[in-house]
Amino acid sequence: MIKLGIRVWILIIVLFLSLLSISPSFEKGLVIKSVDQNSTSFNEGLRSGMKLKSINDQEVKEISDYTKIMNQVFPTQNKTKLIITTDKGEFMLYTNETPKITLGDIPRTKLKTGLDLSGGSRALVKPEKDLSLSEMNDLIAVTSNRLNVFGISDVTVRPVSDLSGNNFMLVEVAGASPSDLKELVAKQGKFEAKIGNDTVFIGGERDITDVCRANAECSRIEACYPSENGYFCRFSFVVYLSEQAAQRHADITSKLGVNVTESGRYLEKQLDLYLDDNLVDSLYISENLKGQVTTQIQVQGSGVGKTREEAIDNSKDNMRKLQTILITGSLPFKLEIVKLDSISPLLGKEFTRNIMILGLVVFAIISGILFAKYRNIKITLSIILTMFSEAFITLGIAALIRWNLDAPSIAGIIAGMGTGVNDQIVIIDESVSNLNISIRERIKRALFIILGAFFTTVTAMLPLFWAGAGLLRGFALTTIISITAGILITRPAFADILKKIQE
Amino acid sequence: MEEKKGQSMEKTRSLSRLYDKTYKFLLFIPFILTLISLIYLGSFFSNHGDFIYKDTTLSGGTTITLNGNIDSGPLESKLKPEFPDISIRKLTDIRTHEPLALIIESSSPPENLKAGIEKILGYNLTEENSSTEFSGPALSQGFYKQLIIALIIAFLLISIVVFILFRTLVPSIATIFSVFSDIVMALAIVDFLGLRLSTAGIAAFLMLIGYSVDDNILLTTRALKNKENTLNERLFRAFKTGLLMTLTAIAAVLPAFFIVSGLPDSFRQIFLVLAFGLFADIINTWVTNAGIIKWYCEKRGIN
Repeated sequence: MIKLGIRVWILIIVLFLSLLSISPSFEKGLVIKSVDQNSTSFNEGLRSGMKLKSINDQEVKEISDYTKIMNQVFPTQNKTKLIITTDKGEFMLYTNETPKITLGDIPRTKLKTGLDLSGGSRALVKPEKDLSLSEMNDLIAVTSNRLNVFGISDVTVRPVSDLSGNNFMLVEVAGASPSDLKELVAKQGKFEAKIGNDTVFIGGERDITDVCRANAECSRIEACYPSENGYFCRFSFVVYLSEQAAQRHADITSKLGVNVTESGRYLEKQLDLYLDDNLVDSLYISENLKGQVTTQIQVQGSGVGKTREEAIDNSKDNMRKLQTILITGSLPFKLEIVKLDSISPLLGKEFTRNIMILGLVVFAIISGILFAKYRNIKITLSIILTMFSEAFITLGIAALIRWNLDAPSIAGIIAGMGTGVNDQIVIIDESVSNLNISIRERIKRALFIILGAFFTTVTAMLPLFWAGAGLLRGFALTTIISITAGILITRPAFADILKKIQE
Repeated sequence: MEEKKGQSMEKTRSLSRLYDKTYKFLLFIPFILTLISLIYLGSFFSNHGDFIYKDTTLSGGTTITLNGNIDSGPLESKLKPEFPDISIRKLTDIRTHEPLALIIESSSPPENLKAGIEKILGYNLTEENSSTEFSGPALSQGFYKQLIIALIIAFLLISIVVFILFRTLVPSIATIFSVFSDIVMALAIVDFLGLRLSTAGIAAFLMLIGYSVDDNILLTTRALKNKENTLNERLFRAFKTGLLMTLTAIAAVLPAFFIVSGLPDSFRQIFLVLAFGLFADIINTWVTNAGIIKWYCEKRGIN
């Protein structure tokens, strides 16, 4: 039985913890990635993260199984029963449309890949003026809220700043990119309801206490008509105003005259709804509302499409958008998208696979060189083991802090492997040289060189945390994690192992 | 075994004498190379108004990547009139030479470029068949400036760390000069090859600073702090160790160009810049810095 030193034990423990953190799983199947809020699936309790087992007693293992079942059941006129079995229990849906959920393969590890490897969209948004910390937090809250209401999941919204002190909001949406991300994020979402030049109410909690949504009683598509280019639908929903806003409405309308038209008696001015300074709709105000303090207002709008279905969908979208903006409120400043990237998931998949191959090739080549140089299987193996440990610990920490590994991050890990090997070479060469001084002293000298190299690399990478809105932070982060793991954990262990080998 | 050792010792001794005679002249080689690189960069600057060719992440504009095997010829000729600054590159598989994707860059906004490409291809660009990256011009120029500042900060910080480590003037300056030459030479090669650098490419220069100091530290420590053996022996041993270090680092970097294909552009740039820098580093550390250190030691009577 070889006695292992404390440093080697530390290495083993850290490796074990990294394994726990990455937690590889060999489970195959599908997991729910997102569930549309306002959908039957959501109301019945389906949530993202649940693993799909079967639907109507038919096993679901791959996306093709799921599509097959859906094609058997839908389209259907009448509501059908759908029994969805997940790892968290059974859910029963009565529906005439396919569940509003998105599915993905069960991830094999807890490692997350960045946008450039998994595909998705990223927008870097710059407010037109400098924001205070609380304004920036508001912006992020409003944006997250808005994306949530739109049922976009797998999204991260966070503030970033750069070396010049600019503040940005970074929005990242994984998976397939919603084509309206741009519109959704950049639009200020300023909602104003005006009569003439007087503002009656604006979006946000101050003026609006509630908005009726997902309730057919007070939020619905009214009717659809054929039009020149297809179809045209009208929607309406009820908005509940605060006392002050209602009072304002009464004050403004009390001064208006009445027009008598064929369809009824209306006030001479209309209630104009503006979204981002564009007129969305003008509503007639019936005579009996003149001067009334009313806290309930019906807001209307419309949607168009080539077919009736398209027109309905379009109206629903418009309605949802308007509702969101009314609830979440408007931002008191304009936004500009300064960077917008959308990466195809297909290309990303190809990249990920090739990077894995690259990692293995680099591993093999370095091992080959080292073996050719030292002609000693024990030494070569221990270097390889150390190199592997460093990469593994870095991945473990990345999983732990939920870091999205993008291409620069992985380049950092591979570059870190290179530095790690360099240091091992220094340790070996120092330890076999000058045999007239003690191995302790020799390894101490090696550690001086290594520490020097460590500090220089860390200092060189530090500025990357801030430069360029931190988009290259991953590169600096993984490099620093990897060499820090090296200096604190693997290299001391390696020095111990080497002492054992030479004794 | 004994005989072999004797032979190699004899060889080492004659090499050592040769080195004693020539090392001051050898110093000229890297100095001249650095000078040529500097002159080249200077003329590059006066011709292009900048030190590098920048891609859209640094200059602003749109990059559209089309997946699959698409003929670039007609696309380029038809896009040129509308987008005069367009550049099209192919991403091919190294072994099969099969085109994997087409990378189209222009300073135009994404909507225009996308529409132009769609018109020629006759189908819509979706998330399935393409990637679109857009950087606003002001932002990109800001990024460029910041990354350059980051590079300068990194360089200054490194210089401070080096001074703290060595606590002697000449070896510290020699190391800093060697790092400087690495950057200048790598930059000159990048420009000479006409590469358009991205943000990741500049980040690689920061990494290069960190990487290239390693063997300088090794060299200086071995030469000045250790007192065993002769100076030449210590230098030579350091050289053997350092060369192995640099070669393994290069070996880690090169497969990205010759063996594995279909890697993200950012990834390839990082590795390419590191490879150039590491090659330059072999000369700058083991000819320049070693020479200066030897000179310094001889003046100081360290041997």
